Amino acid sequence: MSQQQTKNCITLRGSAQIICEYLKFAINSVLFQRGLYPPETFKAEQQYGITLLLSEDPQIKSFLTNLLTQSEEWIVNKKVSKLSLIILNVANKEVLECWDFNVQYEDGDITLSKEKNETVGSKDLKKIQQEIRDVMLQVAATISYLPFLDCRCSFDVLIHAKTDCDIPEKWAEAEPVAIANAQNVQLKSFTTSLHKMETVVSYKLSD
Amino acid sequence: MAKESDMSLFNDVLEPFRRVINTNPPKDKLSTASKLNFSDSNQSIKEGITNLFSIGKRKSSLGIGDVTTPEKRMRTESSSNATSAPPSPWETKRLKIDLIAAKAQITKLEARVNHQHTIRKEMQILFEEEKASLVEQHKRDERALSDMEDRLQVIRRREQELRDEFNEAIKEQHEAKANWDREKNELFKQIAELKDKLLESNVSSKDQLSEMKKDMDELLQALEGAQSEVEILKKEVTKQTSRAEQCVSLKNQLEKQTFELQQVTSKLKELEYERDSYKDWQQQAKTAQKRLSNMAELEKEVVRLRATERSLRDAVCNKLLLEEQVHQLNSRLEVLQPVQQELHEAKVKIASLEASLEEWKSSARNHGVESARALSSALESALTSQLAATAGCSQAQSQLAQITEEIATVKYERDKAAAKLNDLLTVRKNQESLIHRLQKRLLLVSRERDSYRQQLDCYEKELSVTLCGESGAGSAALLSARVEQLEKALQGYRDLVATHDHTTHTKLVDTLRAEVTKWREEAESLRRDVQKLRAQRDNLQVHMERLDTAPKTKVLHLTDNPAAVAQKQVQQDLEAAQEEIKRLKAALREGGSRDVSEETQKLRQQLESRDIKLKRMKEEFTSSAQEYRDVCYMLLGYKIDRTGHKNYRLSNMYAESADEYLTFTLCDDGIEMVHTEYSASLGELVELHLHQHRSIPVFLSALTCDLFTRTTMQHEVEDC
Repeated sequence: MSQQQTKNCITLRGSAQIICEYLKFAINSVLFQRGLYPPETFKAEQQYGITLLLSEDPQIKSFLTNLLTQSEEWIVNKKVSKLSLIILNVANKEVLECWDFNVQYEDGDITLSKEKNETVGSKDLKKIQQEIRDVMLQVAATISYLPFLDCRCSFDVLIHAKTDCDIPEKWAEAEPVAIANAQNVQLKSFTTSLHKMETVVSYKLSD
Repeated sequence: MAKESDMSLFNDVLEPFRRVINTNPPKDKLSTASKLNFSDSNQSIKEGITNLFSIGKRKSSLGIGDVTTPEKRMRTESSSNATSAPPSPWETKRLKIDLIAAKAQITKLEARVNHQHTIRKEMQILFEEEKASLVEQHKRDERALSDMEDRLQVIRRREQELRDEFNEAIKEQHEAKANWDREKNELFKQIAELKDKLLESNVSSKDQLSEMKKDMDELLQALEGAQSEVEILKKEVTKQTSRAEQCVSLKNQLEKQTFELQQVTSKLKELEYERDSYKDWQQQAKTAQKRLSNMAELEKEVVRLRATERSLRDAVCNKLLLEEQVHQLNSRLEVLQPVQQELHEAKVKIASLEASLEEWKSSARNHGVESARALSSALESALTSQLAATAGCSQAQSQLAQITEEIATVKYERDKAAAKLNDLLTVRKNQESLIHRLQKRLLLVSRERDSYRQQLDCYEKELSVTLCGESGAGSAALLSARVEQLEKALQGYRDLVATHDHTTHTKLVDTLRAEVTKWREEAESLRRDVQKLRAQRDNLQVHMERLDTAPKTKVLHLTDNPAAVAQKQVQQDLEAAQEEIKRLKAALREGGSRDVSEETQKLRQQLESRDIKLKRMKEEFTSSAQEYRDVCYMLLGYKIDRTGHKNYRLSNMYAESADEYLTFTLCDDGIEMVHTEYSASLGELVELHLHQHRSIPVFLSALTCDLFTRTTMQHEVEDC
């Protein structure tokens, strides 16, 4: 029994790490799928039982590590409600696409948490990874219906944090984005039993 | 130059003005002023003109030169009238006429001035154009000059080169001479050697000769043997040839014989035919002899027949006479027959007329009229009476028409009146109903009044009772009376209410129904609005839910995100590009023009050289094409012209006229001749060469041969 317990025990930080890992792969996948950076700058990697592509560009790498370490901290402290990856036209700053990653906080296994004296989940890691894989496959499939980006585009990640959250160094407040005439597509969601991740993509409906 | 000419022109223009002005002695001041002005400029002319106009306006106030306000002028006018004599009407007229003439002249001259201006402008434009063309010509000449200089240099260079070449050639020649001398010496040596060799070879050849002679003798013997054999063979050959000749002669004889045989057989056939014909002739001769034997009888008969013929002819003559007579008679008869008929008809008519006359007479007698005059008078009287009657009738008819018209108007009026009556009736009904209502009201009001009076009375009574201080049975009686009165009043009110209810009820119901329908419609529209609003609300709620998170959270992002970096880079790129554009523009302004001009000059030179090349090529092509065509014409005797797409016209060298030509069209499967008038005249050649041989070249060459022979024949004939 004790062995099983230790096996299925997911701590709050562990869950946040899973979420951030998912975010890293999801963001990289989107960048690759939407053709924001040349495909030769990406490197294939096996994760969740499928091949995913990660950018080799040092700028993107450093940006993502900075972003995700801070995000993990905020997720652990339940400060973040949503992360949005926005793709915008460089020329006129128009937002063309928005990938919303909604984070919801769940209680996990209450009995186990009481025993451990901290909030923990008891979901099987393999099951979580299975769910994440499904979402990643959906992300890869979005290319079939998302409109073609025919201009010079770049991306940014906005974090919707709670108002009482401090603004650390290198961070700044940004304007919330809205896409005119937007179409929303809800992808599959997964949960670590502590955090529930919903992925929504909204894009500008072409006339 | 232009100004001076203008001035002179203006002076010309103004000459008539002056004349006009000079004719008016009272305007001296102004005219002098205007004169002074005229010699100034165009504007002064206008001033003069305006002055002139002002003169025209002022007419009589000319004595005073000051230009004042109109009112003042008027005043001065009156004063001047007193001092100076007023202008006579004749003068004013004259002035007017002059003024009008002057105006006309002004307009004319203005037009002329304008015209002169336009001419001058046109001339200027023309000169400018000419100048431009001359400048262009000058440029072209300069270019040509430069070209010529270039060419001169090239020629000089070439001359130099040729000189060099000439010198080199002389040098080479000297060298070659030396070489040749050396070679000559060598060759002399060789000749000597060869002579020695020849002597040696002569000696050896003599030896060989003797040996050869021996061989010759042997061979001669052999030859003699062979010749004898040949002679024998020849004899045999002659024998054989003689035999062969004999055979040939025999063959010829045989052929001749067969030919003769055929001739003989044909002759035999002819003779047989002649024999048959001869038999026929014999028979014919026999019949002729028989006929000759009958000749004498026939002559007799002829005489007899002639006699009969004469008699017959006489008879015929008689017959003709008779026939003529018959014809004449017939014609007369025909003429006379209608006359006879007419006669008959006339007789019948006379009879009928007599009968009718008789009837008339009897009738007249019956009426008591004996003579024709009396009848006519009676008839006249009857006619007059009839005329009177018809006049009366027409009068009566016109009266009838009048009456009918009157009737129609009366009817119309009646209808109108009836309509009015109807209107009035309706009005009256309304009035009646109104009166009825009013009466009812009156009744009600009077009742009310009565009831009020009663009440008033009863109050008075009460008052009096209370004042009197009476009580007990009296008060009870009063109370009962009052109750009764009140009951009556109540009844009246009830009646009133009932009557009111009855009349207003229906109206009320109608209005209520209308209101109900209105309300229902409103309700329907409101429901629709509600639905719309609900949908809107739902939409807004959804929107709100989406936006719900916004106020709770604040949006954060890394300052050095890729979007910002990209934007910065774009900005930098843009600035760099703009700077480059500026730099390039500046460079273009400074030095670009020179480069461009040089480049264009180069390109133009290239273009010219290319043009010249092209022209030369064209010339070359046309000359070679002409040469080719001439050669073709000379060699083949046909001139080939392309008359259109895939159409070719061939005219022969020996053709008699230009109309004699053939046309061919290029088809998918070869070439075909098109039918023309000339080709129609060449039936045989066409049939033979085109239809049978199927060869156009053969046809054409045959035609050439044909035409050639024809023309040469003609020439020969002419020569003879």
